[in-house]
Amino acid sequence: SPQDQYEMYSVEMEKQGNGDMDVKIKKKKTNKAAKKKEKLESMKKEMDGCLHLTWDTLSICIQGMNSTVAGEILLRDGPNELKPPKGTPEYVKFARQLAGGLQCLMWVAAAICLIAFGIQCGQGDLTSADNLYLAIALIAVVVVTGCFGYYQEFKSTNIIASFKNLVPQQATVIRDGDKFQINANQLVVGDLVEIKGGDRVPADIRIITAQGCKVDNSSLTGESEPQTRAPECTHESPLETRNIAFFSTMCLEGTATGIIVNTGDRTIIGRIASLASGVENEKTPIAIEIEHFVDIIAGLAIFFGGTFFIVAMVIGYPFLKAMVFFMAIVVAYVPEGLLATVTVCLSLTAKRLARKNCVVKNLEAVETLGSTSVICSDKTGTLTQNRMTVSHLWFDNQIHTADTTEDQSGQSFDQSSETWRALCKIVSLCNRAFFKSGQDNVPVPKRIVIGDASETALLKFSEITLGNVMEYRERYKKACEIPFNSTNKFQLSIHELEDPRDPRYLLVMKGAPERILERCATIMIKGQELPLDEQWKEAFQTAYMDLGGLGERVLGFCHLYLDPGQFPRGFAFDTEDMNFPTSGLCFAGLISMIDPPRATVPDAVMKCRTAGIRVIMVTGDHPITAKAIAASVGIISEGSETVEDIAARMRIPVEQVNKREARACVVNGGQLKDMETEELVEILKMHPEMVFARTSPQQKLIIVESCQKLGAIVAVTGDGVNDSPALKKADIGVAMGIAGSDAAKNAADMILLDDNFASIVTGVEQGRLIFDNLKKSIAYTLTKNIPELTPYLIYITVSVPLPLGCITILFIELCTDIFPSVSLAYEKAESDIMHLKPRNPRRDRLVNEALAVYSYFQIGAIQSFAGFTDYFTAMAQEGWFPLLCVGLRAQWENDHLQDLQDSYGQEWTFGQRLYQEYTCYTVFFISIEMCQISDVLIRKTRRLSVFQQGFFRNKILVIAIVFQLCLGCFLCYCPGMPNIFNFMPIRFQWWLVPLPYGILIFVYDEIRKLGVRRHPGSWWDKELYY
Amino acid sequence: NSLRQPKPSVWVEVLATVLTTTCPLCFAGLILLFYLILYMFLAGMFSFCIYGLLLTLSPYTPTYRDRVSPPGVMIRPYLHGFTIAFNVSEPSTWTPYVNSMHHFLQAYDDNIQEEKNIECPAGQYFVQDGAESKEKKACQFKRSQLQNCSGIEDPTFGYSTGQPCILLKMNRIIGYRPGYGTPVSVNCAIQKGNESALKSVDFYPGNGTFDLMYYPYYGKLTHVNYTSPLVALHFTDVKKNDFVPIQCRLNGEGIVNNVTNDRFLGRIIFTLSIGM
Repeated sequence: SPQDQYEMYSVEMEKQGNGDMDVKIKKKKTNKAAKKKEKLESMKKEMDGCLHLTWDTLSICIQGMNSTVAGEILLRDGPNELKPPKGTPEYVKFARQLAGGLQCLMWVAAAICLIAFGIQCGQGDLTSADNLYLAIALIAVVVVTGCFGYYQEFKSTNIIASFKNLVPQQATVIRDGDKFQINANQLVVGDLVEIKGGDRVPADIRIITAQGCKVDNSSLTGESEPQTRAPECTHESPLETRNIAFFSTMCLEGTATGIIVNTGDRTIIGRIASLASGVENEKTPIAIEIEHFVDIIAGLAIFFGGTFFIVAMVIGYPFLKAMVFFMAIVVAYVPEGLLATVTVCLSLTAKRLARKNCVVKNLEAVETLGSTSVICSDKTGTLTQNRMTVSHLWFDNQIHTADTTEDQSGQSFDQSSETWRALCKIVSLCNRAFFKSGQDNVPVPKRIVIGDASETALLKFSEITLGNVMEYRERYKKACEIPFNSTNKFQLSIHELEDPRDPRYLLVMKGAPERILERCATIMIKGQELPLDEQWKEAFQTAYMDLGGLGERVLGFCHLYLDPGQFPRGFAFDTEDMNFPTSGLCFAGLISMIDPPRATVPDAVMKCRTAGIRVIMVTGDHPITAKAIAASVGIISEGSETVEDIAARMRIPVEQVNKREARACVVNGGQLKDMETEELVEILKMHPEMVFARTSPQQKLIIVESCQKLGAIVAVTGDGVNDSPALKKADIGVAMGIAGSDAAKNAADMILLDDNFASIVTGVEQGRLIFDNLKKSIAYTLTKNIPELTPYLIYITVSVPLPLGCITILFIELCTDIFPSVSLAYEKAESDIMHLKPRNPRRDRLVNEALAVYSYFQIGAIQSFAGFTDYFTAMAQEGWFPLLCVGLRAQWENDHLQDLQDSYGQEWTFGQRLYQEYTCYTVFFISIEMCQISDVLIRKTRRLSVFQQGFFRNKILVIAIVFQLCLGCFLCYCPGMPNIFNFMPIRFQWWLVPLPYGILIFVYDEIRKLGVRRHPGSWWDKELYY
Repeated sequence: NSLRQPKPSVWVEVLATVLTTTCPLCFAGLILLFYLILYMFLAGMFSFCIYGLLLTLSPYTPTYRDRVSPPGVMIRPYLHGFTIAFNVSEPSTWTPYVNSMHHFLQAYDDNIQEEKNIECPAGQYFVQDGAESKEKKACQFKRSQLQNCSGIEDPTFGYSTGQPCILLKMNRIIGYRPGYGTPVSVNCAIQKGNESALKSVDFYPGNGTFDLMYYPYYGKLTHVNYTSPLVALHFTDVKKNDFVPIQCRLNGEGIVNNVTNDRFLGRIIFTLSIGM
């Protein structure tokens, strides 16, 4: 039971006669502690983390610690700061760039090349260093793209790092009986510290004395409601008890002194942060896809290599030669250029996202949002503005809506009523919050206020509606004041009036509405004081219920002009005795406040919904508030009901409701604690619209895991330290850049620099687009593998002079075709991708069989035929007829044979034949290029006709084609090329030979797309749609 | 008449759907059929293109001759490479060279030449006009013109005395007229090293020139009996018991003999190693 779990330690305090205080914090061992095996599991269990505290019994006097002792403890415990999670060393980060799926494939290929080179050397064949060049090229590609990827991530890390708060926190500490201001990181366990309103709590503190101290634990729990802190122990759980203030929470008002019980990573917040580091990072979907793709390639490579190894053996090649062939074929299957293409495409998208304020830490995470099917979003600060704002007012028996937009662009309400003037006066005067000085130029909503959230909201509200509140307060001098406390549940103050001739005092009061109403005798309606009869009371109740039902915090306001006879100027008001009337007041109105949703959120949620993405709210806040916000942003859509709603509507007990009828469901942390994982999964399946309220960091983790168990790809958004474990566990963690804590940013994969949830939609869109476009790029890149491989196969089996050389292949892969394949990343979406369901990670693969088969065996085959046509043309026109070529290899390659006869009887030296061979390489190269131009055009779309997509819409692609042609010309016609890179200046008509095949590719693909569009679901669609 | 016949395309579709849904093997069959048709079509297109290509080619004259000219040079005897090494005292070391020479020169036997070829006026190109397909006549190049290297007087071509003959042959190129009117001549020198290693070389016929009358060549289809003219190099005084690298060049207008990438273009480099 929870009770058991809370009994981990108890805090005892004894007051000793001489005024010294002893705080004893004893740790009780519980039997649960020892299970190291299930470390992560046990960490998830509520509060088990606290078990591992080693809090010593402390004895501290009010003089504070001795600074020498403090120095010693500091040495022992280390500075009081959250250690950044063990930063991965830079070389490991770099090594990771070299160890992806594709990279491994290329390493293996390079190794094979070197082995093949070794075998050739062993055989004394020193003429061909192609294998060596290939190995070097492969390694170079891996290393260069590795550097590129590393640089990209390094840059985004820098962007994130620049957001870190560099100002060291100060703390007031009492040591050797004196007060010091020191850096918070110098504090040690046992130090006596003072905190006051506006401070950040510098460590976990056991409160000893407090005056009206309130803290905001939102950085820990996500709940921004102020909580009082006092010396009394009120709960056995250290998280619930009133007498411990936690590291990194805010002190909103009041003052307190306390003894530090935990510093640095041993604090609660440190524990949560370290919980995140215990969670394994999930593999990104794109990494999984690339591995799947590598499997396909490796399988095909070995199949082809094996087949031709056998063929070579049967033809009668020696074993070692056949082995070299096998290796060459396997290596030829490795798409050298693909790694560069994928890396560049991903970083292009990363750049595009960065321009829209999404910074991606890991390149591969760029696509993840596109595959996301569930978004678990934190509420405070992510969906909402993270500031209490006045949202509704009730006066003159009418609910008025205040402007809650961030930039005050919304509609205001009617402010002409007398009642409003009175209410406004109460709001301004009965308020202890004030602006920090020197912020006159800052827009009101952004100003820093000392005071709790409600008072801040009211202060800003009146500042906006009334004008300068500080000056206003000075005109109405405060005579006395009773601050809010939990027994009275009201706050009042008495002010002199502005007009010196009017001797009356004004008593203003605010507080819990029902308590305020009790004290009122009249109600102000349109400036008239009317007796508060049953009818008005009912009206009040209805309004109160309405506003409360919106999940808003409601306050009542009333006032009274004191009788000048009884209370003349200078009357000594006594707040202890309350020698003034606190009943029979005049009720002015109700004001309700809420942390309003960000303006862009409802639209973004709607877009997610149309994109088939489920948005789940996971918050530390109250269920009612959570539900209200969920409803207002559309997470719970209009007309959706929870089980409780149905029960209330049908007036039946909750148990009788058919749970399947309820679309929405609100689960709070308490319920979640007693729930088995299976139950949670069941609930997630049953209700499409989910809200989790009052959840702990561990529970967020469990929710994420449950979603993942359902096969979903989960995105988590959050800003607090409490979100960081879930951020880490998620397939993609999205942290807020401005409000986000460092822990959250460290755990996240993506950071929204503008804290705007709507940016996620951009991320989804870009992610989906890049997935589609990567598919196109890969299809484009894979196609040319076949025309690069078949020359070699024909060379082995039919013994023609080699039609395409190794260096030429490298030029195609790494030079001419890179730009066009990257340009496909700029392709616009074919259809409205934001109206499609997220892809099914098990079915919709990046590279599926249809893509590989279509690229390899259809388009690739056409390209091969184009290459061979051009090859035979070039050979025949120079004097070597096709039939003569067959079986010519041995003589052709004999470098002693200087008078080999061609079909006309002409005699060729070896050198002349070599140049002829280079001519063939070039011709084959040009054929592949021409076909690839056609290929890049057809790859623009997978389903639509290219005519529908538009030929010139993608300018980059057009430029890429022109560039490719220019590069082809340069390689062919630049002097010196023949002897350096084996390119020969070829005749113009040989450029035209592959054209019919290029046109065939285009027409064939248009037919394919037409079939796919016309007959969805047919065998044609299944076999040919990739 | 109420049952209307569905269109054939619909039939195909229905059939395909039925087949594919009923048995997976039929589906595989369908795919195979698809690929069969696709590849047949591609093969057809390829054949058509090649056929079209062959139609444009002349059987007598190559479309382009830019890669094969200027001419390369080759020597005989040719066994494995360009090192001619033998020991005078051991006939087994030089017999293969001699046999190779004899074999090569069979076609140049005087009687064969007289029978098949005509005598042409020396010192001018033997241009034969007329239809391209008409059979062309070839000029006589008699073995006896090679004098000491003809193998008639000395059937060992000097190998038995350590004064080997080597025949030099210019590669055939259709329509090529070497020297542009001036006969191409041959000279030989030490490629690198001690110049004194090669004291004297005799050239036959004439002063080691390729007579113009043997050109142009009209291709093997019409110029059936064409025999390449030869220049014999008689190395009468070469340093013995050493590897002597020799470079023989063609000299004439239009001849290129100094390209580093092709050491057989207009020149040839071989090594003589004559043991005593």
